[in-house]
Amino acid sequence: MQAARRAAPILLGAWVALLASAAGALEDPAARTRITTLENGLTVLTLVDETTPVVSFQMWAHVGSRDETRYTGLAHLFEHMMFAGSKNIGPEEHARLINARGGELNAYTSNDVTVYFNDVTTESLPLVIDLEYERVANLNISEETLARERKVVLEERRLRTEDSPMGRAYESLFGLVWQALPYRWPVIGWRSDIEKATVDVSRAFFAQYYVPNNLVIAIAGAFDEEAALAQIQRTFGTLPRAPAVPRSPTVEPEQQGERRATVHFDLRAPILAAGWHAPATGNPDGEALDVLSTILSAGRSSRLYRSLVYDAQQALSAEGGYWELEEAGIFLAFASVRPDASIDRVEELFFAEIERAKRELPTADELDKAKRQLEVSLVDGLVTNHELADRIGRDYTTFGRIRPLEERLARIHAVTAEDVRRVAQTYLVKERRSVVRVVPAPAAPAEPAAEPDGGGA
Amino acid sequence: MKRALTLCVVAYLALSCAHDGSNASSSTAPAWTLPPPPAPEGPVVPAGRLHRAALDNGMQILVLEDPRLPRVMLGIAFRRGESSLSPQDAGLASFMADLMERGAGDRDALAIAQATDRLGATLSVAASWDSLLAVTAGLSRDQDALLDLLADVVRRPRFDPAEASRVKSETLNALERARNDPGTLTSWYTAKAVYQGHRFGLPLSGTPETVARFDAARARDLHAKIALPNDAIFFASGDVQAAALIEQVSDRFGAWPQGTVFDLGAPPPAPAPAARRIVIVDRPEQVQARISLSHDGIARSSDDRIPVSLLNSVVGGSGFSSRLMETLRTSAGLTYSVGSDFALRRSPGPFVVSTFTVVPETRKVVDLVIAELENARTNPPAEDDLTWARTLAIGNFAMGLETSAAVLQSLVDLDIYGLPEDSLDTFRSRVRAVTPEDVARAAHEHLHPDRAAIVIVGPAKEIEPQLEGLGPVEVVTP
Repeated sequence: MQAARRAAPILLGAWVALLASAAGALEDPAARTRITTLENGLTVLTLVDETTPVVSFQMWAHVGSRDETRYTGLAHLFEHMMFAGSKNIGPEEHARLINARGGELNAYTSNDVTVYFNDVTTESLPLVIDLEYERVANLNISEETLARERKVVLEERRLRTEDSPMGRAYESLFGLVWQALPYRWPVIGWRSDIEKATVDVSRAFFAQYYVPNNLVIAIAGAFDEEAALAQIQRTFGTLPRAPAVPRSPTVEPEQQGERRATVHFDLRAPILAAGWHAPATGNPDGEALDVLSTILSAGRSSRLYRSLVYDAQQALSAEGGYWELEEAGIFLAFASVRPDASIDRVEELFFAEIERAKRELPTADELDKAKRQLEVSLVDGLVTNHELADRIGRDYTTFGRIRPLEERLARIHAVTAEDVRRVAQTYLVKERRSVVRVVPAPAAPAEPAAEPDGGGA
Repeated sequence: MKRALTLCVVAYLALSCAHDGSNASSSTAPAWTLPPPPAPEGPVVPAGRLHRAALDNGMQILVLEDPRLPRVMLGIAFRRGESSLSPQDAGLASFMADLMERGAGDRDALAIAQATDRLGATLSVAASWDSLLAVTAGLSRDQDALLDLLADVVRRPRFDPAEASRVKSETLNALERARNDPGTLTSWYTAKAVYQGHRFGLPLSGTPETVARFDAARARDLHAKIALPNDAIFFASGDVQAAALIEQVSDRFGAWPQGTVFDLGAPPPAPAPAARRIVIVDRPEQVQARISLSHDGIARSSDDRIPVSLLNSVVGGSGFSSRLMETLRTSAGLTYSVGSDFALRRSPGPFVVSTFTVVPETRKVVDLVIAELENARTNPPAEDDLTWARTLAIGNFAMGLETSAAVLQSLVDLDIYGLPEDSLDTFRSRVRAVTPEDVARAAHEHLHPDRAAIVIVGPAKEIEPQLEGLGPVEVVTP
């Protein structure tokens, strides 16, 4: 049960031409997905693959931290409450029943979605469906369980953010890049809000967002499709349809000038992080941005690795990537500065590579290599039922359809060297970038160091 | 599946009748009220898919055909790793492995990287405690090129002095960075507290002191000792044709001369520590205390492995369902996560419980962990707990068969540890054969909370006063 840091794997790319030449007739398994919409608005995606007797069941709730009003972290805290018991099932009993059969279950919350998954052997799917329905229909939100999960989430926050330099970097960077959109606060929320969220607030959140017309169920693997659909109709089908879910009307105003922040942290390898505004998911420039990230970051022949890690020996790692969310995107860059090196030098080299991407066209070799890397990562994403269910669930929740691999391929394939340079010029603009440095506090105790996030335990 | 469902409904009805016959509306009764249907029992590997061969020079070959996707994974495992080294050489196999990727045959470091990236492939060479593993994965149409890459990296690494100093400098900087990482510090100091003086007491990738002594020549010497065909397993899975692939492997590795396999080095560590010791690794800025409790465990080949694994599932090894999770998280909200694990190596590796909590709750959490381990000894899992742990193990095993790469890795693992080839086939029946007495004995022999090393990373000033009466405390600065 974690606050996912990354909303979506970036490397869904291109395919069919490759497969036509590489593998003959490899079909896109997701093309076999059957889409069923119940009367109450619940969508069920079923994808049968009989190869191994394993099945992944995922429930996608179209609600994330961006939907929070007043209490940040509520979507994630609520995700925890979904394991805390219901009318007929005790706290963590759902997990115990699934584990008892060797299954795995967990959930994660991102800025846009909350996803619950159960990966089990085939004969346990009926159990999974009944358990998932039970918690959606009969969840028990009590003072006692909320008090406990609050403490658990605060430990999670200490682990992932307060004692983690990368967590601090993310938290600071998102708050700089976005000043209006609800992406500006961390998915796990601010400490004060987690401490103060109440049972009533949690119940209202549940009633508003955990409704059939805001849920997508994705099932992939070896299972009896008719039986599963009938069971879902008999259970989830009884939930009443709710009014359409409201969304934030906010649009991020254009940034007017570079933003910078420094976070003090007890560490030996400082972190340089940068972010630029980029388009929301589904934008036609998305594939060119993916190719650009790949040229910059994927593998030891990539530009950032070669420049910062290999040639200059200033960083332990350096990478950049396009991260697409539903209402906006971000082009992120991170470098881990070597303890024996200079963060100023790392920043200089880092932005020199960004400027080069804006000035020069990538070579044909770089372009082909990046496209191939994106293609292979797509094939790798077809191996497990969990990955397939993730893909169809994410696509349907985000786009209301499942994007065929042929389409993804065609779009990646169409990216030209000029496109790569153009998106670098369009989005990686100095005036619209934000830069965060996580560094040790200065040695001289001239002034007391401020608590970076205004928290304080 | 329909048949299985029908069976379980019948079983449920029979069960109901035996009691009071109530609530028998079978088709709509929630599934959790029904007895679990049996997990699938199919063969571990579909017939005809697994091929074994050997070259004249002793290299073993394992090929698992799986044509579902146009991918292939190719690798070579050698049966020696860091545990064969003396503490003075800690990290040398990792250093050598790193260098093997950085220049081999006609290609320098950049050319290797470019060749790999152009295929959209991955390539990695890594030393673990008991093996050296070189693996590449990519599209099956690139099988030849991937095999060439693998053969170069394994047989013809350049050990270029310039690359060696680069890797050394990177490793030293990475070790320096880790001195501020609470998780890494916890595992380093835990190993040190349990295995003082033994190779297991030092990090897998070495220490600044050992790494400072490495160079290209030392890596080359170790390579000559470890990378021997008569101590190697070639393995492949994916969209491959075994007969053709074995021919290609023979072409590239058949003429590789045998060498003398060197002794397994370090003797097994003594049971340790002898008495409880507590180490606080002082990090004044941390808001959370990282806590571990550890002592010696069992070897990979131990006869107790399955009873110990079932015991561990109940105690702390099963995620949300373990007793430790119930005690620390579900009941008390003291942590986000807690787990226990027996590290399985050729010689007995450590048993470790690890968790974390907000600093003022440190003592409470330590006491609860100790109490839970004591409880496992005095109140070992009875038949109902054990039934649960058995179905967990068998179901988990079935889940693990989803990808051929995972199955193949398990088969290679059996070879590395000299275990019977049919261990996967017999796994389920061996799990079923475990009795409560076996688990009680395992708990008695393999859980020692009274003499465990306790390592806590966090602000010593706030933690030390909490530990009164627990045992001798040592405070160290990372």
